[in-house]
Amino acid sequence: MDWILDFYNYRVVAQYLPEFARGLGSTAWISLLALGISLSVGTIVAIMRMSTNPLLWRIAAGYVQAIRSTPLLIQIYLIYFTLPALPLLDRRLDELEGGIIALGLNAGAYMSEIIRAGIESISRGQVEGAMSVGMSYLQRMRYVVLPQAFARVAPPLLGQTAVLIKDSSLVSFIGVFELFGAGLVILNERLMPNEGFLTVAVCYLAIYTIMLSVTDYAQRRLGGAVS
Amino acid sequence: MNEIILSTIPFLMDGLLMTFKISLLTIFFGSLIGVVVGMLRSLDYAVITYPLGAYIHVLRGTPFLIHLYLVYFMLPMTGISWLQLEAFPAAVIALSMYTSTYVAEIVRSAIQAVPRGQSEAARSTGMTALQSMWYVVLPQAVKLMIPPMGGVYVIIIKGTSIVSVIGIAELVRAGEHATQRHPKEMMMIYGMTALLYFAYCYPVLRLARWAETKFGSVRLPS
Repeated sequence: MDWILDFYNYRVVAQYLPEFARGLGSTAWISLLALGISLSVGTIVAIMRMSTNPLLWRIAAGYVQAIRSTPLLIQIYLIYFTLPALPLLDRRLDELEGGIIALGLNAGAYMSEIIRAGIESISRGQVEGAMSVGMSYLQRMRYVVLPQAFARVAPPLLGQTAVLIKDSSLVSFIGVFELFGAGLVILNERLMPNEGFLTVAVCYLAIYTIMLSVTDYAQRRLGGAVS
Repeated sequence: MNEIILSTIPFLMDGLLMTFKISLLTIFFGSLIGVVVGMLRSLDYAVITYPLGAYIHVLRGTPFLIHLYLVYFMLPMTGISWLQLEAFPAAVIALSMYTSTYVAEIVRSAIQAVPRGQSEAARSTGMTALQSMWYVVLPQAVKLMIPPMGGVYVIIIKGTSIVSVIGIAELVRAGEHATQRHPKEMMMIYGMTALLYFAYCYPVLRLARWAETKFGSVRLPS
């Protein structure tokens, strides 16, 4: 068994297990909060993008293009390093808040494209039906269009969530401790890249596999998806 | 203000050049690996399909940052001399492998989009599986691959930002250096960096969209 210990010393990994658990939990929280932001931003941007008001849809389209054409890393840097003190908060964002907001805004652009496809797939009759019973625009969206749209695009949204979880590793660049950071700890303290990064890789792969089967399940339960 | 912009731009341009170099090498090698993997996978021999499926699944399921660290830090630990990679080849190799998974899926989807009758007709005239692939199926599939490849190229360009972490002086790194010289102008410098990325990526995305209206496209599994 010695040759395994040379390449991958699982005893060291066992020693650092609490770090990995902490990193995993941190990644889960970061992803969950960023997911919340991205879904809210994505829905608003999707609705703006479909508006007939040129100002609204141009802003939305510009936002999506800007996010899609620049790397996430530079978005994280811009938000964390360059935003001045925020008026309501009365201080600058710390690295965790900055990272989560950047991740959420980034994923929001991709989510908005998926959500827009979902909204567009809802047949006109649904909206007309809602109008004829006297629903306002917001009511139509809230009670008729969005629930159906989200059900229809749940699989691609879940796929994008898997990407979001992977991307959350980038917030380690601004010093947030998460799953990838746990690997860095082993690299820095023990100079053991294999033990650190292979373990982290396996954790991410496990998350991805779970997300993939959830996506499959959603696809089967909710029928054909639009993408 | 103006002086700072003027004095920073040459450094950022050097960084952009490096980003350009890495992205070009990567699209080349990544496509090469990806086309081979995608073609082999579409041949539908279980012995080949499953291991290659695992290759794609593993690379897709882990962040690129991890691949980069594994190639740059782990391969040298094996002690084999030609695996002691410098930062630049390590970055190109890791990014090419990551890219190849996207290309492989595109190639496979495009090949599957060509009607089955085409390859059946080719086989019935006595062509081998490889001949029918090369002379009949691929020429028709290539058109469908062009639009999504634009998206892949943008993914690569954005991916190059991450290789700054192993010390390659590409655009993000150049921006970081510039902010160390002018710490007060961080927003402007990172803003300029973002604009340069935008100037590189946006035309590619537009071109891909144009190609899509011209050639049609394949629906990729999400």
